[in-house]
Parts: sequence; structure tokens; C-alpha cells
Amino acid sequence: MVGVGFRREFAEEMISGEHIRPDFIEFAPENWMNIGGYWKKVLHRVVEKYPVLCHGLSLSIGSPEELDKPFLQYIKTFLREYNVQIYSEHLSYSKCDNAHMYDLLPIPFRMDAVKHIASRIQQVQDYLQRPLVMEIVSYYTPVAAEMSEVDFINEVVKQSGCQLLLDVNNIYVNAFNHRYDAKAFIQQLPLDKVAYIHMAGHEQVAPDLIIDTHGEPIIDPVYDLFEWTIQRLHPVPVLLERDFNIPEMAELQGELTKLKNICHKQWNLKDELVA
Amino acid sequence: MNLLPDTYHIQQTFSAYCRTGEKVKLPGVKPQRLKHYRQLVFNMIHDTMEHAFPIAFRHIPATKWNKMVKEFFSRHACRSYQVWKLPLEFYTYAVEHNWEEVYALPFLNDLLAFEWAEMEVYNMEDIPAPAYSLSGNWLETPLVLNPEYRLLRFSYPVHLLAKPKELLKNKGVYFVLLFRHPETGHVEFTDLSPWLAFLTEQLAMGITVRDILDYAPELNITQTDTLELDSIAFLKHMQELHFVLGFQS
Repeated sequence: MVGVGFRREFAEEMISGEHIRPDFIEFAPENWMNIGGYWKKVLHRVVEKYPVLCHGLSLSIGSPEELDKPFLQYIKTFLREYNVQIYSEHLSYSKCDNAHMYDLLPIPFRMDAVKHIASRIQQVQDYLQRPLVMEIVSYYTPVAAEMSEVDFINEVVKQSGCQLLLDVNNIYVNAFNHRYDAKAFIQQLPLDKVAYIHMAGHEQVAPDLIIDTHGEPIIDPVYDLFEWTIQRLHPVPVLLERDFNIPEMAELQGELTKLKNICHKQWNLKDELVA
Repeated sequence: MNLLPDTYHIQQTFSAYCRTGEKVKLPGVKPQRLKHYRQLVFNMIHDTMEHAFPIAFRHIPATKWNKMVKEFFSRHACRSYQVWKLPLEFYTYAVEHNWEEVYALPFLNDLLAFEWAEMEVYNMEDIPAPAYSLSGNWLETPLVLNPEYRLLRFSYPVHLLAKPKELLKNKGVYFVLLFRHPETGHVEFTDLSPWLAFLTEQLAMGITVRDILDYAPELNITQTDTLELDSIAFLKHMQELHFVLGFQS
């Protein structure tokens, strides 16, 4: 299955299915919870047409403070209401001192942070009664690290029992920004835990820095890394993210088709790719 | 909690920097890279406010506006996990911190309230309307109103004028009704006289037009045939606009 991030900018095109036809859609529950009116009607129309996966923004699994229980209650209800097949979130924090930051801040790669996060992931999984799929985020500077990034991720997965969302573009961006080998990094991950893949474009803003913008087409080296990566995985859903500089639908469909062709080639499957 | 105090403090320092942009020392952090976090976070907040308050953004000098957004984000702990609700916190912060005086913008609270109400009514959860009938007696039968509305009172006509100079010249008492069209979801707004605002408020409580008209003398309004005719004409017009849905059945 190859899907696309559902955005209001191209909601009608997605519903009509004329110029773009993903296998599933993904959206952030936070952008659609507790709303009514026009957009609720649109949401109902699109979820009737496509299977839904959700990618959260505000859980803030790495926050020092307690989990937001009322928020989790809303999430649980929402996931049930829309029959959401996968709920993923970010291995980062976006809230501190009870203030939301609305962006993904890097967690110090430390063992106490691992224990803290693993415990919170378990609480969320127990409450939602489903596995949490955690995305390895892009980051622009390490913060007070006492262990390597890959060790940090492996420990979180091991101690929490969560699954992984492998954003191949993030790995490419991180490898470039922090000067490591993307393939070597991926090979060290618990690839049997990968339940979901994200693909996106980025922007190079300095000779030594790439920002993960989701505002450009996927570049060829990221496609290459994707193709190399999926040879090491069992088939999982793949999502194309495009949040800014939205192109014509034909262009997005072109990217979807390219991803689909790579999946078919490497996973040797036709139309029956399963989540 | 498994976090050690040092790790907790590092996370607090990092996030405080993102909120304020004030220099911090963090072990292992590359300062040039850290700046990107402040930019990304602050740009998102700035864009959210610009999108939510387009009239305010256009008519308040950029230096003032930027100062407001910076102050808000650095001093206020944003509570909403949904970004679209954050403008309410901005508006509330402006009222609580007396920004009308601080920034010498006497119409600011009204303008922010109006722009927020438009967004709130557009996005608010669906509210089911009670059962109603399309026929009834305009004077005697309680009316059923579209429940998705806000009735606001302003000192400046921010729903009619945009330029600060014009707003300041027209200080007075204004009422505006915002409601969501049940089919299209678009937000409509209507300027109301004090009497029509009173009428709307009382109708929403289930009081009949007759009883409201009977109360008019208490408001020093001399009840006339014109008042009755004008009130019913207004309500019929509001029925066409889908604010008056019908008659209690």
C-alpha cells in the first residue's frame, strides 16, 4: 500500500480520485478532532473512500511531565470512530513546562530518557490497546548525548515494545547533517519492528545542513535509499508526505507511482500488498 | 518519573530557548543549528496568528505585531494541543494583559474577538438543532435558531471597517451576529441594532416574539407597529439566511 498525507489543500481532488488515487490516506488526528461544519463533512467523505492511518503531532512522548490523559481519551475515541489502522507518533518532544511548542524537539540520547520514554510508550499502548509506531525524527543538533542515536532508538524499542516508523528521508537528512552513513545506521535498527515507512522531500539550506521541510519532491538519492531499505523489510505501508508547495496532483501521483513501482519490484508483489 | 534532574533541566532549557530565542548554553549543542529550532517554532506561531487574524495583521504596524507575537509565545504556556485553537489563547492573553492600552490600539480586543469568533464558528463541533416545523406563528410560537452562532458586542465596528483611523472615529455600541450556514458551512455575519441583538438573545432562550415585544417598554423602547413589523421582517430575512430554522414543534 502506498498512501499520501491528506491535506485540506487537495481534499476535493483526493475525494474525486480523478488525478490522484492513493491506496490509503494519513492525517494528524489533532488537525481533525473536535471540528464540525464543512471540514467534518469532507473528513467523512474521504474516510468512506480510503483506509485511514493516523500520525499524531501532540502526544509529546519525550516530555518530562505527565502524559495528557484527556488528550489520550480524545485520541482513543477518534481512532475508534474512524477505524484507524495504524497510529504513529514522533520520538521527540513538543511540550515542556506544560507549554506546547508545535514542533519536534530532539530528546537527549541518554539512558534515563530511554527509561522515561519507554515507560510512557507502554502507558499509551496499554491505554489505547494498540501498538504505538514511533517515528525516528530528523534533528539538526544532538543535545547532551551520552549514547549514540541508534543505541538510543534500539533501547527505546527494546524496553517499550513499540514498533518503528522509518522515515527514509529523515535518515537521509540526519546522515547528511550529522555525517554518518545512512545505510550503516539503518542496518543497525531492529528492522523487524518497522511497521510503516514515510517518504518526503527536503531542502538544503546550507552546505552542511538539510531541513526536513516536506515541501519539495523526493530526490533520487532518497529513492535509492528507500529501495535499498525495503529489500531488508517485510512489506509495510508506505506514505508520501507533502505539506508545503503543493504541486499539481499529477506530479504527486507520479511520486506515488514511482514508490509503488519500487515496492512491487522489491517486494515482488502485485496488488495484494498488505499492511 | 525516570528522568534525571539534569536531563529534565536540559529539555526545559532547550524548549525555553525555542520560546524566547534568548541565548542558552546546552552541552553538545551546535549553536548555529540551535537557531533553526527557534526559527521553525517561532515561524509556525507567527504564521498561525497571521492566518487567524488577517485583518489585525494587515492593519497593525509590523513592529507592534511582531512584538505581540513574541511576547505571547515567550511568556504564555500554550495549552492547546490543536494549533487552530491557539489564536483563542492569543486573544485571551491580549485581554488579560491590557494590550489595548499597552499597544495604544483601543479597538484591539474587539478586532481579535471578531476574527477569533469567525474561526471558532467555522470550526466548532456540530451542534444538533432541536426539532422544528416550517410553519408557525411568528409572534406566538417560540422560534428555533441555528445553534451554531456567536452574538458579540463591540465598542468599535471591527466587522464593518478595517482601517484603525476609521475605527477610532466610530466608537460606539455595535452588535454582530456570526453563524454557520448549515449546508455550506460558511460563516455569515450580520450587523445588529441593540434591539435586534436583544431580540436574538431572548429568542435563543425560547421566549416568544410577543413576550419580547411586551418587554420593550422596560428598555425605554416605545412599542410601535413598526417595531413589530421590523422585527418580524428581520426574522424572516434571517430564516432565508438559515439562522432562524423554524418554529418549535
